[in-house]
Amino acid sequence: MAQPLEKVDRRDAKLALAHLFVAFTALALGGFAGLLQTLVRSGKFELPAGISYYTILTTHGVLLGLVLTTFFIIGFQFAAVSRTTGALSDGSRRTGWVGFWLMTIGTAMSAFFILTGKASVLYTFYAPLQAHAGFYIGLALVVVGSWVSGFAMFAHYARWRKTHRGQVSPLLAFMSVTNMVLWLVCTLGVAATVVFQLIPWSLGLTDRVNVLLSRTLFWYFGHPLVYFWLLPAYMVWYAVIPKVIGGKMFSDSLARLAFILFLLFSIPVGFHHQLLEPGISPFWKYVQVVLTFMVIIPSLMTAFAMFATFESYGRSQGATGLFGWLRKLPWSDARFFAPFVGMLFFIPAGTGGIINASHQLNQVVHNTIWVTGHFHLTVATTVVLTFFGASYWLIPHLTGRVMTKAMNRLAIIQTIVWAVGMTFMSGSMHFAGLLGAPRRSAFSTYGNSPQALEWIPYQIAQAVGGTILFIGIILILVIVINLAFFAPKGETEFPVAEAAAPYERAALALENWKLWIGLVVALILIAYTVPIIDIIQNAPPGSKGYKLW
Amino acid sequence: MAKAAEAARQTKKEKEPALKGTLASVFLLGFFIIFSWVSVYFLFLHRL
Repeated sequence: MAQPLEKVDRRDAKLALAHLFVAFTALALGGFAGLLQTLVRSGKFELPAGISYYTILTTHGVLLGLVLTTFFIIGFQFAAVSRTTGALSDGSRRTGWVGFWLMTIGTAMSAFFILTGKASVLYTFYAPLQAHAGFYIGLALVVVGSWVSGFAMFAHYARWRKTHRGQVSPLLAFMSVTNMVLWLVCTLGVAATVVFQLIPWSLGLTDRVNVLLSRTLFWYFGHPLVYFWLLPAYMVWYAVIPKVIGGKMFSDSLARLAFILFLLFSIPVGFHHQLLEPGISPFWKYVQVVLTFMVIIPSLMTAFAMFATFESYGRSQGATGLFGWLRKLPWSDARFFAPFVGMLFFIPAGTGGIINASHQLNQVVHNTIWVTGHFHLTVATTVVLTFFGASYWLIPHLTGRVMTKAMNRLAIIQTIVWAVGMTFMSGSMHFAGLLGAPRRSAFSTYGNSPQALEWIPYQIAQAVGGTILFIGIILILVIVINLAFFAPKGETEFPVAEAAAPYERAALALENWKLWIGLVVALILIAYTVPIIDIIQNAPPGSKGYKLW
Repeated sequence: MAKAAEAARQTKKEKEPALKGTLASVFLLGFFIIFSWVSVYFLFLHRL
C-alpha cells in the first residue's frame, strides 16, 4: 500500500502561502521597474511624467533584493520546518503571522515613500543621500517582522529538540535555523544604523551623520544578506533535489558542516564591499578579505556534493564513461531543470565574487556595472531560478493541487528564457564594467567621451536581455497563478531527500549552538571592534542630508 | 580475525561510489575560476 504523503499542516500552509503571494507580487512590480531601467539605460527611451530613473532603480532594488527574497525565504522555511518537524504550535503560528503583518506593513510603507519620489536612495540607502523617515521606519518594520518570524522558528525547533533528545534534527529544520541565526546576527548592523543614525537624522533630530559608520554597519549586514538569499537555495539543492531526481543526498554531515561554515564566515567580511573606502585601515580590509576567502570553502564543498549526488544517481542507473551520468538526469522535470540551470550560473557568479573580493582586482571593477552583473547572476539567477523550481512543488503542495504537464513545459521554457535573457543582460554588464561603465547611474554619454560611447552597444544588449527577462517574469507569474488557483486538485509531494549513509555522530556535534554562536560573535568582534572604534573616534564632523533627485 | 577485518575493509572499498566524473567536474570548475581570475589580474596589471 502506498504511504500517505507527509504534508505541511493546512494552517501552516496558509502562513507560508501568504509570504509567497507577497513575494510574487513584489516580483511583478520590481521586475517591471527593472525592465524600465534597462530601457532608459539603452538611451532609446525616456520615462514619462518626470518619473526619475532613481525612483525606479530604488523600487527595483528594494522590491526584488529585500522584499521578494525575504518573504519567499521565510515562507519557504516555515513550510520546511512544519514539514520536517511537525505542525507549528498555535503560539508559534500566531507569532509567524505577527511577523508576516509587520513585514507587510513595513513593505507597504517603504513602497509608498519610494513610489511618491521621497526615497530615491537606492536599495543600499547610502548616507548622505537622505530619504523620508517613513522609508527607514518601513524597512525597520520589515527587519523586526523577520526577527519575530525567526523566533517562531527557533521556538518550534527548540521544542522538537526537547522531545527528541539525543536525535539529530531533520536537515531542513537545521538549515532553516542556521539561516535565521545568520539573519538575526547580521540584521543587528542595519537595524543599528537605521534606528540610531538614519531615523533621527531624517526626522531632523540630528543634523549630521557619520557616513562611514553607516556604510560600515550597512555592509556588516549587506554581505551576509547575500548568504541569507543563497542558503535557502542550498537547502533545495542539498535536501530536495536528490529526491526529485530519484537519488540520495551524498552526505548529510557535509551539508550541515557547509552551513555552519557559512554561518561563521559570511558575517565578518563586509569590508570587501568597502575596499576603496578611505577611512578604514588596509590591515583590517586585509583581515576581512582573508575571511571572505574562507567562504569559498563551503561553496566548493557544495559544488562537489552536487556533482557527487548527480554522478552517484547516474551510475546507479547504469551510466558509464566520465560524464555519462549527465544523460540520466531528469531534464524534462522543471523541479530539477530550473535549479540545475541556477547551479550552472553559480559557476561564473561565484568566480566573479572571488574577483570582486580580491583587493587589487576590486580596483578594476569597483562601482562599475560589472558588480550589478555579478549579483544578477547570484541572486537573480542562481537563487531565483532555484526559488522558481521550488515553487513548482511547494505551491501545489500547499494549495492541494498538481502541476500539469503543460505547466511543466511552460516552466522549462521559462527557465530557458531566463537563462538567455540573463546571459545577454548580465554578460553585457560584466563586459561594460570591465570597460569602466558605472553602476547606479542613468543614461549619459558623459559629454560624448569616447570611453562612454564604447559602453552604448552593451547598454543596448542589457535592454534586450532585460526585455527577455521581463517575458520570463510574465511566464513565471502565469505558472504561479495557475498553481495557486487553477491547477487540478490533487496531492503533490514536498520532496525531502534521504542521506546515502545513515546519520554520523558528527551531525550531533554540529548542533552545538552555544559553540557556533560563540565563534560567530568572536569572529565578528575580532574583525570589527578596532576599526569601528577608529571610525567613531576619528570621524570627520559628519554630513548633512542630501536629496539629489 | 585479521583476515575478516581485511575482508570487511575490501567490501567497504568496493562500496565506495565511483566519482571520476565529479573529480573531472571540480577540476574544470577550478580551472574556470583560475582562468577568469588571472584574466582580470592581467587587466589590472595592464592598467597600472
